[in-house]
Amino acid sequence: MAAASGAEKEKERPGVGGGGWGSGAGAAGGNSTRERLLSALEDLEVLSRELIEMLAISRNQKLLPPDEENQVLELLIHRDGEFQELMKLALNQGKIHHEMHVLEKEVEKRDSDIQQLQKQLKEAEQILATAVYQAKEKLKSIEKARKGAISSEEIIKYAHRISASNAVCAPLTWVPGDPRRPYPTDLEMRSGLLGQMNNPSTNGVNGHLPGDALAAGRLPDVLASQYPWQSNDMSMNMLPPNHSNDFLLEPPGHNKENEDDVEVMSTDSSSSSSDSD
Amino acid sequence: MAAAVAMETDDAGNRLRFQLELEFVQCLANPNYLNFLAQRGYFKDKAFVNYLKYLLYWKEPEYAKYLKYPQCLHMLELLQYEHFRKELVNAQCAKFIDEQQILHWQHYSRKRMRLQQALAEQQQQNHAAGK
Repeated sequence: MAAASGAEKEKERPGVGGGGWGSGAGAAGGNSTRERLLSALEDLEVLSRELIEMLAISRNQKLLPPDEENQVLELLIHRDGEFQELMKLALNQGKIHHEMHVLEKEVEKRDSDIQQLQKQLKEAEQILATAVYQAKEKLKSIEKARKGAISSEEIIKYAHRISASNAVCAPLTWVPGDPRRPYPTDLEMRSGLLGQMNNPSTNGVNGHLPGDALAAGRLPDVLASQYPWQSNDMSMNMLPPNHSNDFLLEPPGHNKENEDDVEVMSTDSSSSSSDSD
Repeated sequence: MAAAVAMETDDAGNRLRFQLELEFVQCLANPNYLNFLAQRGYFKDKAFVNYLKYLLYWKEPEYAKYLKYPQCLHMLELLQYEHFRKELVNAQCAKFIDEQQILHWQHYSRKRMRLQQALAEQQQQNHAAGK
């Protein structure tokens, strides 16, 4: 009996392990493999004790209900059969559990791979986004540069024009008594177009600018008919005040066509009688 | 306004207006003229101030290339500020601006003189060393 109970105890241990997982799988309390195994074991224990008692009693007494022995034996055998089946079930469950374990490991591995890939993709996306952004900035600055592009020839021409007449750089021989200045002087202002407008009688002053002289001679007629914004109380060097309505409101856009035609004339007239020319 | 519209579409009128405004904006480079305008109260006239704002179109490259005295643009920008316009009533202010302008005007000639002097000194040194 001791050997039998020892063998049963040995079977109990792996069974308990399998039964433990069985209890995790089977929801209801009484149905877990573990509990069924345990209850089977208890029954076996009880039955085997009864049998032993009956055998012990039957040794003392001859009178013995034979059916009871048989019943107990049958129950014992039946219980044992159940126990064996439960053990097999527990073994299968153990195998399944093992497989589950392996698969879970596999899943974890794949999961970590996916996370790794995700990190790398994120990094790549960030790098690409930075690159795209910088490329866009570059394109913007290229566009800006192209918009402001001026032909070098024009710049050189302009530089020549403003330096040749000492407008931006003092003449090398300049001394403090020299009347030349970096801005149009009184004399120049009066002999320019603005000044001439107020002195229609003094045409012919700018001998070297025939266009201006003619214009000066013709100006009053032209102005009187077309420019209502002229007023008559002007002294020298004053801008003809525009009609106040025009400039109290937001000034409208202006048309500046034919600038090319006017180019030569205007640059000459702005520096009208500059001395160095 | 009808007359103004007619003026806009008139070719000769446009050319004239262009010349006039070109001359006027360059006159603004003259601080004495600015002082003159300030003392006669032109800077207090709202229409005049608006006109100065309108003249800012000379800063665009296609107009700026006609300017002979580019300093006028800087003065124009300064004139947009009320404080500057008020200050210009003082003759001292105008005189100061004038002096600074002339000194700046001489910047390149001074630089050239310095370079020439440096060159002359160097040549002298070379001569002395050579001998």
